Amino acid sequence: MSKFKKGGGRSMPGVNTSSLPDIVFMLLFFFMVATTSKEVDPTVQVDAPVGARATDLTPYKQRSEVDFLYLGKPRNPARADDFKMGFALSLDNVVQPTADGLYTTNAVGQWKKDKFDQKPARMTAPIESVITCVKADKSAPSGLIFDIRKELQEVNALTIAYAVRDNTNI
Amino acid sequence: MAKRELQEINAGSMADIAFLLLIFFLVTTTMDKDTAFIRNIPKKITVTDPVKVEERNILAIKANNQNQLMVRGEIFNDPNKISEFVVKFYRTNERENDPSNNFPMYSTATMELINSQLEDFDRKIEDAENAGSPKEMIEFLNNSYKEWDKKKRALALLGGSQLREISGQAHVRIEVQQATEYSIFAKIQTEIEEALYELRDEKSMQLWGTSYGVLKRKVATEQDKARDEKAKIELLEILYPQRIIEVKPKK
Repeated sequence: MSKFKKGGGRSMPGVNTSSLPDIVFMLLFFFMVATTSKEVDPTVQVDAPVGARATDLTPYKQRSEVDFLYLGKPRNPARADDFKMGFALSLDNVVQPTADGLYTTNAVGQWKKDKFDQKPARMTAPIESVITCVKADKSAPSGLIFDIRKELQEVNALTIAYAVRDNTNI
Repeated sequence: MAKRELQEINAGSMADIAFLLLIFFLVTTTMDKDTAFIRNIPKKITVTDPVKVEERNILAIKANNQNQLMVRGEIFNDPNKISEFVVKFYRTNERENDPSNNFPMYSTATMELINSQLEDFDRKIEDAENAGSPKEMIEFLNNSYKEWDKKKRALALLGGSQLREISGQAHVRIEVQQATEYSIFAKIQTEIEEALYELRDEKSMQLWGTSYGVLKRKVATEQDKARDEKAKIELLEILYPQRIIEVKPKK
């Protein structure tokens, strides 16, 4: 009689892994839902400049205390000549034209006011402290940014944010 | 022929497939944070006669249409050096005022001075309210009162008998031109932030042995619970205030 039986007898039952796919799928869905891409795909091309020690806007986004506007090159290069210095301003994915088809910032003030009026009722921050984040292309002329700044000053929206790509961690 | 038992599909590799998908999503989605420099735009007011600011209190950083930099009249070829200059601007007279150099002066506030100022403003606010002064006036007085109150808390936290403060007029001025690239503008902002971070971080290490970054993170994550950290940051911001003026380009 041998102590060790070979084959035949009872073998160790394998761990039931049939629920593993479910677990992994759950993880998968979690990541698919939790990671969000940009809320809009801007109609203009924006390649943000690199910066450091910038402030993370996530908490403001969660409280919807920030509005984004984009300043970049139009996606269609042929249209670049239609805009002042070749840069177009996109507000809520609408590239702002003027009567003569040229670039304008005149709509910024009204846009900001409308945005502010549409904010959810739970938001109590006054218009002065609601951030307007300018996402500008790195080669955008600063003059245009100051035009936007002036428009915001007119409607008393006194907090501006200059978007940069910050690769460093705090 | 014997009836064969229906075989179950082997689902063992299902997990592998799901893992592959998971990893694919993990790799491709970038958790891009929106980061930006938050700045205040001054309120629109019509100034009849502007206050004259001493030259020593201005640190002008200029960039022209060709993206060339100039700091206090000197051409800067290396934009990474701006932060050093900003640190120097804050540091030069920090310990002792030396009127012979061209950097901002520091003033000294003692607890007695702060307390007397607080009382003073308290009285002024009361007078203004009784006299029915315009709203702006009362608001201004209230803000001044809050400033001094902040200083009081800061000095209490700092310990010692006096609070050295940079001149209220001292500021960094960014002057760009119409066609200056945005990346240059962002670079200047970065350099100023870097300088302030360096100054505050060093002070924080010296006073409490924690880095400024840690304090900031604590406030960001715990918000109202991190009271000590908030007070510390307030003190650091009084010692090294961020005052930036962005000048509207003319040409």
